[in-house]
Amino acid sequence: MANWTDVFRAQLFSSIAWYKNNRFMFFSMFVWPYIMVGMIYALGTIYGDIEQYTLQMGISNPALYLFASSVVAMSSLFIVDAVAGFTLWNRWLGTLPYIILSPVKTSVILIVAGLPDSLISPVITMLGIVPAVIYYEGIIGAAKTLLVLLIIFLGMLPMLGFASLFASLLLVLKEESNILSSLSPFILLASGVFYPIEILPRILQAVSEVVPTRYVIDASKLVSTYLLPEARPLLLIIYAIAILGGVYNLLALSAIGRAERRVKKVGAI
Amino acid sequence: MNRIKLIRVKLLASAINAERLVKRYITHLRKGIFKREKKIVEALKEVSFDVRYGEIMGLLGPNGAGKTTTVKILSTLLIPDGGRAIVAGYDVLEEPEKVRENIGVTLSVEKGFFWKLTGRENLKYFGMLKGLKGKELDKRVNQLLKELGLEELEASDKLCEEYSLGMKARLALSRALLTDPPVVILDEPTLGLDPPSARTIRTLLIDMAKTRGKGVLVTTHNMFEAELICDRVAIINEGVIVAIGTVPELKRYVSGKVSIEVVAGGLDLGHDPDLSKLGFTRDEVVGTIDTEEGRLRVKILCSPGEEEDMIAEVIRRIGAAGGKVHRVDILEPSLEDVFIALTSKREVGSHGKLD
Repeated sequence: MANWTDVFRAQLFSSIAWYKNNRFMFFSMFVWPYIMVGMIYALGTIYGDIEQYTLQMGISNPALYLFASSVVAMSSLFIVDAVAGFTLWNRWLGTLPYIILSPVKTSVILIVAGLPDSLISPVITMLGIVPAVIYYEGIIGAAKTLLVLLIIFLGMLPMLGFASLFASLLLVLKEESNILSSLSPFILLASGVFYPIEILPRILQAVSEVVPTRYVIDASKLVSTYLLPEARPLLLIIYAIAILGGVYNLLALSAIGRAERRVKKVGAI
Repeated sequence: MNRIKLIRVKLLASAINAERLVKRYITHLRKGIFKREKKIVEALKEVSFDVRYGEIMGLLGPNGAGKTTTVKILSTLLIPDGGRAIVAGYDVLEEPEKVRENIGVTLSVEKGFFWKLTGRENLKYFGMLKGLKGKELDKRVNQLLKELGLEELEASDKLCEEYSLGMKARLALSRALLTDPPVVILDEPTLGLDPPSARTIRTLLIDMAKTRGKGVLVTTHNMFEAELICDRVAIINEGVIVAIGTVPELKRYVSGKVSIEVVAGGLDLGHDPDLSKLGFTRDEVVGTIDTEEGRLRVKILCSPGEEEDMIAEVIRRIGAAGGKVHRVDILEPSLEDVFIALTSKREVGSHGKLD
């Protein structure tokens, strides 16, 4: 009997095969984080120079923060795309019914299938950004970015549940691409990637409390500010990520189960 | 107790057992920007049939008859609103994972592959999803690529985006057979294929049922194919199984009748001809084809011994309508005649407007 590890293996195999067969796309992924750095920088300095940006964001090392937040932003986009976009892309390709025909429970497939890409993409982003980090910040900067990557992996737990909630919504609704394309910029804004949370409207500040990437961005700020980040605030962030991870994944399991029953009832697969 | 055992044995002996399956869809008709009208469409109305191991059962029906809905319910992709279905000995509602473990399914030969992956990679991916691993997986994939002729066509390591429809159909069937399942469900597996590819698929289907003892359910529009490969055929129309049996059994529906094919020209029929103007009744006409440019080809059923009178009558009617008869053939009834006769209400309604 197949289980979740088979789904993970299959998805990992297809991702590697896809990168192997699409080399230009693969190499372009190393460039994307630099485009993101440019975008974060451009949006951040729209009202002033780099000193003002540094002050506004509450950081002491803008270069390291830009690189680290770029890794976080790209990883968030990839996770949302890998998990929430999974149903969408496979429905378009016509592969969704055949994936669901696996003997594994559909809810498990939908959560696990996005995992390999969610792991591969941050690593590629990290590898892409490391040369610039070493150039500007040396080996210590690279080590700090690696720490951010570890926090990203931890932050992936709630992000998986969060994105799976949207995956269930995409399963049920028919205007999937509209939802997906509006989700990513919203996550980045509410995470404080572009602007500090404090200057966002109150409603967005409240929403940002439940957006998992917000805590990863907070951790990136801590890591890029101090040589050795203080343990207590970092631990608080890790606790917040763990709690959100539990809540979102439990919600996602229930939501996907319901969505699966609904689509199988109305014939949307 | 014995009765329960007997029922269990009976169900296990059937590869597929569908009992009074009901499915309703809710559709919404747009009545403006914000207004929508709810409409309930009954896709299946108490559909019952069974497929035995070692046989090919054909499910025939016009578009929208309920074939794909049936296939999806049996594959656990759709939940029925009523009835029960046992596939490979497992209930589709109670043990869907077990059902999926024991079936191979093809829904569409054109779609359903990762275009940027090769045929081999696609098969490996779907094999892993079914729980196949390592050498067992490699061996099975190589075996299927060879058996379905993809190795011979040098297509195994080509990207799927470069595949022809025939190659895709072969790959789709390979995917359905990855775990060598006892039950195979195929929705129009030869649709749009060239004759050699269609023949390869048919040969394999016969081999699957006859040599390997699998229960095979095939939906098709192709009457020639159904007549050629199916041990039994179920004809479904508007969500109802209207006939079920072997092809000779079904032909008895129109037995005792003679089929006359008439080709005429010079008629001003338009694209949606009203054949009642020519005096044909619904019982007489079993099909109309090729009505372009005033050309009419029509099949008429009549009782034996009445052929000559009927031919004379048809020539007279067509002549009176300003047309000219080009050819008249007396034919043995085919499965197509049976199909059209059984689904005639819909066919004639949409093409011939007969009352």
